[in-house]
Amino acid sequence: MYKKLSMLLLVAALFSTGCDKENDDLELPFTSETFPQVLKFDEEGDGGIEDEDEFSCVFTLNDRKDPSGNELGGIVVPLKNDVMVFFEIKDLEGFTNLSNYVTGATAFYEIDDCTTSADQNIDLNVMLDLNTGKGSFRFPKDVEEVELVIEVNDDFFDDNVLNTNERSVTIVMTGVQANANEKVVYNNAASFKYEVQDDEAINGDWELDVSNTAQFMLFKELFGFVNEDIANLQASEVEKIEISFEYSEVKVLVELVATETITECGVTETVNKEIEIEADLEELGLYAANGDVEFVGEIEQSNGRNKEFVYKGGFVITGNLLALTLVGEYDDEETDEITLLLEK
Amino acid sequence: MKKLINTLLFIGFCQLSMAQNTNGNGLVKGTVSDAVNQGKLSGAKIKWAAGTTTSVADLNGLFQMYLPIGQQTLEISYLGYKDTTVMVQVGENEIANLNITLRSVFSQLSNVLVSGYLQGQARALNQQKNADNIVNIVSAGQIGRFPDPNAAEALQRVPGVNIERDQGEGRYVLIRGLAPQFTTINVNGEQIPSPEADVRFVALDAIPSDQLASIEVSKSLTPDMDGDAVGGTVNLVTRTAENKDGRLSGSLVGGYNNLMKQPNLQGQLQAEKRFGKRNQLGILVNANYYHNELGSDNWERAPQDNEAELRDYELVRTRLGLSSSVDYTFNSRHSIYFRSLYSKFTDREWRRRYVFIPEDDEIEKLTKDRFESQSINSYNLGAKHNFKKFYLNYEAQLANGIQNTPYDHEVGFIASIPSTLSFPNGSYPIIDAPGFTDDSQYEFDEVNYGKTLAKDRNITSKFEVGVPYKTSNASGLIKFGAKARFKKKSYTITSDVYESNGGIPSAASFTESPIKDQFLGGRFNLGNPINITSFNRFFNSNPGLFELDVEGKAIDEALEAFEAEEDVYAGFAMIKHQFKKLMLLGGVRYEKTNVSYQSRDVVIDAAGDLSAIVPVSGQSSYDFVLPQAQLRYAVNKNTNIRAAATLSYARPNFSEIIPAQEINEEDNIANVGNANLKPTQSLNLDAMVEHYFGNVGIASAGIFHKRLDDFIYRKVLFGVPYPLTGTPIIPSIDVVQAQNGNQANLTGMELAFQRKLGFLPGVFKNLSIYSNYTYTYSLATIQSRFADGSQPEATEKLRLPGQAEHVGNLALAYESKKFVVRLAANFNGNYLSEVGPTAAEDLYVNSRMQLDVNGSYAFSQTFRLFAEFLNINNQPFEVYLGNKDVVVQREYYSWWARVGLKFDLRQKNK
Repeated sequence: MYKKLSMLLLVAALFSTGCDKENDDLELPFTSETFPQVLKFDEEGDGGIEDEDEFSCVFTLNDRKDPSGNELGGIVVPLKNDVMVFFEIKDLEGFTNLSNYVTGATAFYEIDDCTTSADQNIDLNVMLDLNTGKGSFRFPKDVEEVELVIEVNDDFFDDNVLNTNERSVTIVMTGVQANANEKVVYNNAASFKYEVQDDEAINGDWELDVSNTAQFMLFKELFGFVNEDIANLQASEVEKIEISFEYSEVKVLVELVATETITECGVTETVNKEIEIEADLEELGLYAANGDVEFVGEIEQSNGRNKEFVYKGGFVITGNLLALTLVGEYDDEETDEITLLLEK
Repeated sequence: MKKLINTLLFIGFCQLSMAQNTNGNGLVKGTVSDAVNQGKLSGAKIKWAAGTTTSVADLNGLFQMYLPIGQQTLEISYLGYKDTTVMVQVGENEIANLNITLRSVFSQLSNVLVSGYLQGQARALNQQKNADNIVNIVSAGQIGRFPDPNAAEALQRVPGVNIERDQGEGRYVLIRGLAPQFTTINVNGEQIPSPEADVRFVALDAIPSDQLASIEVSKSLTPDMDGDAVGGTVNLVTRTAENKDGRLSGSLVGGYNNLMKQPNLQGQLQAEKRFGKRNQLGILVNANYYHNELGSDNWERAPQDNEAELRDYELVRTRLGLSSSVDYTFNSRHSIYFRSLYSKFTDREWRRRYVFIPEDDEIEKLTKDRFESQSINSYNLGAKHNFKKFYLNYEAQLANGIQNTPYDHEVGFIASIPSTLSFPNGSYPIIDAPGFTDDSQYEFDEVNYGKTLAKDRNITSKFEVGVPYKTSNASGLIKFGAKARFKKKSYTITSDVYESNGGIPSAASFTESPIKDQFLGGRFNLGNPINITSFNRFFNSNPGLFELDVEGKAIDEALEAFEAEEDVYAGFAMIKHQFKKLMLLGGVRYEKTNVSYQSRDVVIDAAGDLSAIVPVSGQSSYDFVLPQAQLRYAVNKNTNIRAAATLSYARPNFSEIIPAQEINEEDNIANVGNANLKPTQSLNLDAMVEHYFGNVGIASAGIFHKRLDDFIYRKVLFGVPYPLTGTPIIPSIDVVQAQNGNQANLTGMELAFQRKLGFLPGVFKNLSIYSNYTYTYSLATIQSRFADGSQPEATEKLRLPGQAEHVGNLALAYESKKFVVRLAANFNGNYLSEVGPTAAEDLYVNSRMQLDVNGSYAFSQTFRLFAEFLNINNQPFEVYLGNKDVVVQREYYSWWARVGLKFDLRQKNK
């Protein structure tokens, strides 16, 4: 009887362990350790004035957990082996023949803050077929990112008319070739779009006449609202004031008369001191001589927190003059509506 | 401390001196069993006719007592059985062995298994009646009377006990209106660790009720019991071999869940036998398995945010229990035993839901797939020695609780679809969201891949020495002992949240057919749910489209993980003195606890970025001297008056003391553990009158009062420097921390009545009633929710979380010779579940009354057919916010049923 009973218990135990459905219809995903390296573009796009002779895009890897635990937000863990990255330049807007605009490609990576692979003549085996737009380059091991530089014909889009249509190219990754030891994939949905910016539109640098006392005071009132250094400026202290509309961002630059000596990569030089405000463009009329503009930035407070500011309004371009009318909002307060007159 | 040790030494010396009183005595040992079926009659009272010496038979019907030499008369009484008198010849320093059999007053029923029912109930009531303290005992037979598959559900039938449920099944136990952390869970008299990470209490749905010989709910403590039990102590007693003839019993059950239209399955097998000429070796093996495919239809809402959710749950739940007992009796004086228990509870859960967010014109669609297993194993090795003048019992236990969640996946999609919500009555929401089942509208949001592992291990050793004594007109027992318990608990977590790098198709690419025809009675069409397996295949095939939130992973994993060690040392001394009718029991228990923890701080800087994860550790030490006193006065043979005054305490949950901290400077709030948190102390006063009916029944009434000091609650310290001690690194921040300091009072009344209504005429005499009711009132003082920097010490009063004002059971049964049918109602009054930021946001679980019906037909002593219908009134789980008009959650389970066959095969004597 007890032999039978033992068998019964054994069968019952075996039977029960299979019934919890732990593994039924189960697909276990990659863990963070087994998740492959992912090649991607560092940014989704960029833009440059129409007479630029090159543009570039950066290929990098997804952040991973820092094995040392020092970087809590994660780091790029470089590849252990070289891989070949295949890309394609496509979706031409504003022109039809790639070779009319693109003339070649190079690539480099930073070895340190002052040295690139190009400085050391390291060849990344860049290939680009100007007829098909297809190309490739080598992404070396132990490198966090590679910058692909596309050389372009600086005369091709450089005209003197206000363009009302987009001019752009898009770069996508089409493949990665790696050896079996390197688990690396690429983001096949990501793309990098380069937009040619019209210098007859609002794009580019606009300078305010510091000697115009009324305009200088208005400038101080508008941007001194979010920057104490600007609020306390005297015209005599200022060498130049410039507002630049770049790809997706606005920079307000005050170059002071005062200078400072800086040393970069072993080179010492004397430069003017600067006050800079940066903000992200939320809205900007790109293909017209007038339109709306809105940009948003953050100011770090004494307690370390960031507080947002917003400038919104409109612009009118007449020849090489820009009338920029803005209202600033910050800390539940607003400026008056102020119009600055700037010159290209 | 020195004083205490001296006191214990003095008591020990006194014991040895008084033990001289037993000179000229002999030891009488024996068993009490049923004359017909040889079932052991635990709880039987054996009284020396010429004096006050009494003994109570243990779970195996065993008893022992020291008596003067010569011819002695013993009176044996047991509810439901005829009183019996036996003579015994006691020799000096000799052991007299007795095998006493009693005849049931229901002898006319003894040829069918109905007597087994009564025997079970009689066991429980006899143990209860003769216990030294206030205790409710549920025997295996009584557990079998109700359709309760797990230990928590069996406990809900006990006076003063209510339970918290998960997916309609009982899980946590609350005794006398105190939250689960105030109740200690034991297996075979020793605490078992909690498989869950941040708490001490045990989810009792992990333990099948079929595994148990009885459940004891002690509501007042004696010094030989652990002192960390404010609400009470639940002791789960596993089965041991009783029969010298081999016995094979079990059941096979099949069932049906109406909501999911799915079957369920349950089986149990138990074999037991005592071997040897003197039946000195007993072996019992019990195995059982429960498989249930269940689900629920749920809606929830957050009135403050104007959000609502529809949740469709599907679960596969299993429960496996294996237990064994081996005991060996060397001779009349010495025996050893080994008991093991293994329980594994698994839960595969799919949760499919929509979240409606009208304020953002968004709807989220999510599916979760999670597997969780909770296992408890416990091994007790012990021995009992009866020397000439005293007895010595000792035991070592190894117990583990493990909760393993190997995967916990949830994928979410989001659509820009406007919706409007209204809640005209508490039953169902009205959701107007045209097109919300159009899966092509839902874009990928994020997928969370998590897993966790929580471990808790206890190693315990203890001993106790009992010295019987006798005076001219009384007798008694002096007992002392000590215990050490070493606990190690840890929790690890993996939390991988992936966001999109672009290119992930809409939810329409990952859907499957609905899992059931209707949701909430056909009021909502949930469309096609997301199949997470299908999504995971896409994830594995297209990793380039996903990016891990590395910072979020670092935060989540650091915040929750911890390691803790807790060493407890205890000693006690007590004396039980039996006058003619009065039993006095008094003594003191000393417990010292050393605790240490390791975890990590997470610091979020003012810009909202993770700035640091810092290892931290904490430790604390506390001790308690706990005097305990019990009184039992036997008004007559069947009526007792009881009173108790005891001190006890409750250790804080691990989640409250572990020094893990989240410092969020951006939100100006810090959640900080408090390693110095003191346990809550409680003064417990009890009084009770109980009358037992000869035909197996009880009527009892009792009152209780508890005063809780150092009651633990979440306190906000406004604008304090951080850290709270040492050099501040943040000059001013609001710190949320569990703190001591406030007092709570809890008062209540318990009534119980159960008996066979044999006095009624005709067929009505076969009716029996089982009823109990508990009223509880509590008042706790906490920091006012309106407190702020200007009045940080403002207080307010509210009732204790978990305390239901009304809790009760009512069951009416018809029991004929072979046929039994029972209608049982279980009522849990509403209780405060979570203290909100304002009184209007306090979360309450609404009152609930579940009706169950079960019946059985006994073909013979061997086979019985039974059927059970549970939740026949489809009672939902309902939660409201502030007042009953603001229902924020309703979850329906429908009814489920089971039909089965129980068998009891006995080996014939050769």
